[in-house]
Amino acid sequence: MSVPGARLVYTSGRTPRRRDGSFITGKLGDGLSVKEGYEAAQLTVLNLLASLKAEIGDLDRVSQVVKILAMVNSTQDFIEQPAVANGASDLLVEIFGERGRHARSAIGMEALPFNVAIEIEMIVEVSPQDA
Amino acid sequence: MGTVEKKIEELGITLPEMRPPVANYVPAVRTGNLLFLSGSIPAKRPDGTEVRGKLGDDLSVEEGYEAARLVGINLLAVLKATLGDLDKVKRIVKLLSMINAAPDFTETPAVANGCSDLMVEVFGDKGKHARSAVGMASLPLNVPVEVEMVAEVED
Repeated sequence: MSVPGARLVYTSGRTPRRRDGSFITGKLGDGLSVKEGYEAAQLTVLNLLASLKAEIGDLDRVSQVVKILAMVNSTQDFIEQPAVANGASDLLVEIFGERGRHARSAIGMEALPFNVAIEIEMIVEVSPQDA
Repeated sequence: MGTVEKKIEELGITLPEMRPPVANYVPAVRTGNLLFLSGSIPAKRPDGTEVRGKLGDDLSVEEGYEAARLVGINLLAVLKATLGDLDKVKRIVKLLSMINAAPDFTETPAVANGCSDLMVEVFGDKGKHARSAVGMASLPLNVPVEVEMVAEVED
């Protein structure tokens, strides 16, 4: 449910960008393992949270993670996108607890920018600044 | 039984029992009057069989349309489980229809119509929605269609 006066924040799609500016690249089903995909999804969440923090100032204002769209760089026959997306979902619940339990879609993409392993966009509900 | 559920019964549709997701996400999240649904995959056919495969490869547009309609049935089941009463739906706001498609398959709208038509059959004008229909390299479990939904609901 909803906090009165809450607003929705839509992030752009973020990618698994490391601290040194490099990316986790590659395609699931073609050289990249599910475990590596899971880790890429975790790293992508950190980038999403960095965007969100820059926008709203304090991550404690997140009253609910509403939805993520997990777009997994996939071969035509790779079908384990949920196992990859779990890297993001698990971390969001670890960080935000019950408020981190979100709706989700996990899908396989033909190609992604810079050949990154995954791109994720997110919608969160944010409580008012003075709450 | 509400008006919408009566309509579903008239269409000869039985909504499946909802199974909770097996990972750290939920079928739907409500924020304000908007309900965001996770991507659903096709419900089982009435005879218990499941539809799997890729458009432009091993499935026809007609089979894709049927699969999209079966996804719509699962989305209705999520709405029902979340809201209790389907008459609380004020408007189907948006569908993102993601079609498991070979690289040269371009008839994704004709497939997505399976879900869109069902929403209008069930909800009438309230079922008319914004939509995108796109082709995916691959989908979980090799399902032909996954659809996520945003719905506006009563207070």
